[in-house]
Amino acid sequence: MNPKYIFISKALYIPEIKTLAIGDLHLGYEFLINNADIQIPYSEFENMKDELKKIIEDIKKRKRDIKTVVFLGDIKHFFAYKKIERDLFVELIDEIGKTADNPELIVIKGNHEKRMDFAYQKLLDFYVKGSFAFIHGDVMHKEILSPEIEIVVMGHLHPAIALKDSQKIKSEKYKCFLAGKYLGKEFIILPSFGEINTGTSLNEHLSDDRCFIPPAQLLNFEVHAIGEDNQYYNFGKLGVLEKLHDNIKK
Amino acid sequence: MTKIARAVERKDAEIAGLLHPLVKEWFFSKFKEFSITQRYGVSAIWERKNILISAPTGGTKTLTAFLSIINYLVMLAEKGELENKVYAVYTSPLKALSNDIHKNLEEPLNEITALAEKKGIKLQKIRVGLRTGDTTPAERVKMAKNPPHILITTPESLAIVLTTKNFIESFKAVEFCIVDEIHALSNKRGVYLSISLERLNEVSKIWPVKIGLSATIAPLEEVAKFLVGIEEFRDVEIAEVPLSKKIDLAVLTPVKNIIDDENLTSEMYVLLDKLIQEHKTTLVFTNTRAGTERVVTHLKDKFPAIYGDDNIAAHHSSLSKTIRFDIEERLREGKIKVVVCSTSLELGIDIGYIDLVLMLGSPKASSRALQRIGRAGHKLHETAKGRFIVADRDDLVECAVIQKEVIERKIDKITFPKNCLDVLAQQIYGMAIYKQWNINEIFALIKKSYCYSTLSKNDFYDIISYLAGEYALEKSNVYGKIWYDEETKMIGKKGKLARVIYMTNIGTIPEEAYITVKLAPAGEKIGAIDEGFLERMKRGDVFVLGGSKYEYGYVKGMNLYVKTAIHRNPTIPSWFSEMLPLSFDSANEINKFRGMINKRMFEKKSKAGIIEFIKNYLYVEDSSAEAIYNYFYEQFKFSEIPTPEKIIIEKFKGEKNYLLVSSMYGRRVNDAISRALGYLMAQAGGRDIEIGINDNGFYFAGEKLQIEKALKFLTDENLEEVLTEAIERTDILARRFRHCAARSLMILRNYKGHDKSVGKQQMKSHFLLNAVRKISKNFPILKEARREVLEDLMDIENAKRVIKRINDKMIKIEIIEVKLPSPFTLNLLIQGHTDLIRIEDKQAFLKRMHELHIKLIEGRKSV
Repeated sequence: MNPKYIFISKALYIPEIKTLAIGDLHLGYEFLINNADIQIPYSEFENMKDELKKIIEDIKKRKRDIKTVVFLGDIKHFFAYKKIERDLFVELIDEIGKTADNPELIVIKGNHEKRMDFAYQKLLDFYVKGSFAFIHGDVMHKEILSPEIEIVVMGHLHPAIALKDSQKIKSEKYKCFLAGKYLGKEFIILPSFGEINTGTSLNEHLSDDRCFIPPAQLLNFEVHAIGEDNQYYNFGKLGVLEKLHDNIKK
Repeated sequence: MTKIARAVERKDAEIAGLLHPLVKEWFFSKFKEFSITQRYGVSAIWERKNILISAPTGGTKTLTAFLSIINYLVMLAEKGELENKVYAVYTSPLKALSNDIHKNLEEPLNEITALAEKKGIKLQKIRVGLRTGDTTPAERVKMAKNPPHILITTPESLAIVLTTKNFIESFKAVEFCIVDEIHALSNKRGVYLSISLERLNEVSKIWPVKIGLSATIAPLEEVAKFLVGIEEFRDVEIAEVPLSKKIDLAVLTPVKNIIDDENLTSEMYVLLDKLIQEHKTTLVFTNTRAGTERVVTHLKDKFPAIYGDDNIAAHHSSLSKTIRFDIEERLREGKIKVVVCSTSLELGIDIGYIDLVLMLGSPKASSRALQRIGRAGHKLHETAKGRFIVADRDDLVECAVIQKEVIERKIDKITFPKNCLDVLAQQIYGMAIYKQWNINEIFALIKKSYCYSTLSKNDFYDIISYLAGEYALEKSNVYGKIWYDEETKMIGKKGKLARVIYMTNIGTIPEEAYITVKLAPAGEKIGAIDEGFLERMKRGDVFVLGGSKYEYGYVKGMNLYVKTAIHRNPTIPSWFSEMLPLSFDSANEINKFRGMINKRMFEKKSKAGIIEFIKNYLYVEDSSAEAIYNYFYEQFKFSEIPTPEKIIIEKFKGEKNYLLVSSMYGRRVNDAISRALGYLMAQAGGRDIEIGINDNGFYFAGEKLQIEKALKFLTDENLEEVLTEAIERTDILARRFRHCAARSLMILRNYKGHDKSVGKQQMKSHFLLNAVRKISKNFPILKEARREVLEDLMDIENAKRVIKRINDKMIKIEIIEVKLPSPFTLNLLIQGHTDLIRIEDKQAFLKRMHELHIKLIEGRKSV
């Protein structure tokens, strides 16, 4: 793995610029499920908050600082404005402020954000720090092509892989990071952050209209599947996984 | 406890002697004599005896039940003694039927009134009122002010009126209570009604005499107890009216050679058309909604000159009420040539003159077959003509055996679900809305219901705790629905919205949503599937809809996008949520027959001799007997014929490693046994196992299948424990849990007047379930979902019996290796998988697959 960045849970930490990047949150998603009429508690948000706390503490334990936290867009789920999403995000930011000693906060605009601000935060199309660029990942921003940028960090695709056994009986989905080269830059694609959103298994379903990186290029990206044991399992290239998967089928 | 006696047939003169002159004159102006049913029932009801009347369809049950009541009311009306109260409550699970009865009850009353006027006799008006979900608020108010003397209602609406303050006053002295169509109540609606009846008993100061009406049904003693409840001095008579209608039955195969003829489907329509044309009015049963649509479409397409909207119609429960009523009306008026239905016309409503009933595919139980055939022939005395049309050889054997059961009057037994905690929660809530109760009073009332006579105090108190909000759900906006004061032992309702919430969410039938299936990406509409079916599928699964195969693509809103999958086998049986399970009794009969044929083939009896035996034993024609003989002989030659004494397990290596188990016990029993065995094997091997289940057997597929060990371990005593573990992580439990949660009002369909579509309710059942598990593994509603899966969906009691026989070596297990699946197990394999037994945890699987993957990559590199 490139020593320039560290995977921590479903987030990415970059020591050089003391930055923590977090993928798509889709805060309102649980309320799509948890309507007023379903009288059962959900704990998606509480889990997210705990997870984020753990990540920050983990980084502190490694004697590292967090100066900046970047949210890679799609904070909210509902396209329309929902007060609850704003309230939750404010709560989340407060929590980060407390545990990570008030870092600078950067919020990238995702395709679920329809306005240019959210929860009193200005939304950016992209963000550059040192040799790193941060974007949501639905559309290309030509600024990231500038020569001083080496690594582009993005979300949006909710990457995951589906694994099947030799009998094709069991199929399980695992969230993963994708890392690979495109347009001369290294790209790292972060998985979605919540639990309810289980991700899109890209070795089964890779459509060409979801992202500016063509599928053929994505197939060359390396898969780092996230284990429950906090280990990352390198499955090699997505394309190979897809092919092998087909071989197993036959 | 409740005592049961047989009713006696009375003399016509005796019955006539009971009748008021007006009623007598009216009766004999319409009928020559009393029917057998009336001879059994009318006097007993007049004497205020509780009675269960079981008579075949087309009998005169309804009038039997009402005659004494009409007679009594006319007597009072003449004396001017008719009070402003409900004298009789009539309840039926069919809304349509209620409308029908309304007509049939008002007619006699109107004619008697007219007769009285003609004679110058002054009669008070006898009011009949209809109260169903369709009754308008204005009508309800009117009804509460001026209660009907005879109230026609459904089980759900009965519970509502028992919670309505304004109405309940008129229930203080109900004298009669008719429960119609009891045979359709061996489900949660019946359980629900059983408590409503106890609530009625409690409200009424005098005992409402119970009159139960049922089609041919077994066991009558249990049904009688269901009707009157369990308590000292509750006696009940049973009138089993013999079927005087002659039955003309036959099993037909559309082609001579059912196995090789590729024209089976088209020949079936030719046969169908021929039979329809030979008769005046035909009723066709197809078992499923999809089948109904398919048959109608094919007949119209194949014979456009003969069948059109004017003379053929489809009838099933997902059609709108208006359409159904219209079809029923046209049928009654004889304006329609053929009606194709799923199972929806099995029950009740008078549908006029039908001279032929066709059953496409096995009706799955003798009681159902009898019910269906009973729809033919208008009056009790005519011959009922029914034909089974079979689709394959399993179907042929099944239909032939069921035909034998019908001819020999072997009726499969029904059972009522017991101690359902979700229904209990809803009913207690309703009771608390009506008044404050002492907790012991409620418990005593509930225990009188036949369906709750064995309810434990613990379960009861758990439900009280849930309703009182003691499961720490309030933090999450789940508010208690009742309060319970431990000091005074009193219970009452909480919240101003209680009544509204109760009334708008009442009922026991889970709401199913229909998902529109569209072809991706254009969005061309193909048809609809129900939500339950969708929940069973994942991306890439292949299923059948409208006769074509489709691959699951993705879901957007209430639409499922698919692509055509012509060359792939279905991975999921399309009928799953709709298919009727074969009754355990019929399955045993088929098994017995298998044993008989096996014995004869083993003894090398001649072909002609065996065919002769089949003809006589199953009452079938030469061609059917020969087809059955050939089918069995192929199996016999291939390996062995499974019998009641021997289960055959075939080891087969195809696309996957399979174990094919021939166990003829019906799907409900097979479901229980296969999941228990599958779970044990999955645990021992540490791998997930795929299972497929049907009425004739089940299969396993997986990497490690150690069936011998699993069979050794499983006993009738540990079956329940194993099975409870086995279903814990299944979709089916999650789904059932959601239904139970809706029934116990954890999920409100209608909240503050906003109707939540099932689409909105369609949240992931697993999340719901996990949230509840965090609260308590023994949360009462979760417990109920488990019970429902084990006892209602599966048949754990009979599964225990089978396992015991295996343990006691009364059933031998023989495991054989085969190169191809045997003729008997082929259908099992073709139909696809039912479920997956998950055992290997996600992390272990990831590690294993990663190791495998790395090896594969390295292997490729070295090549």
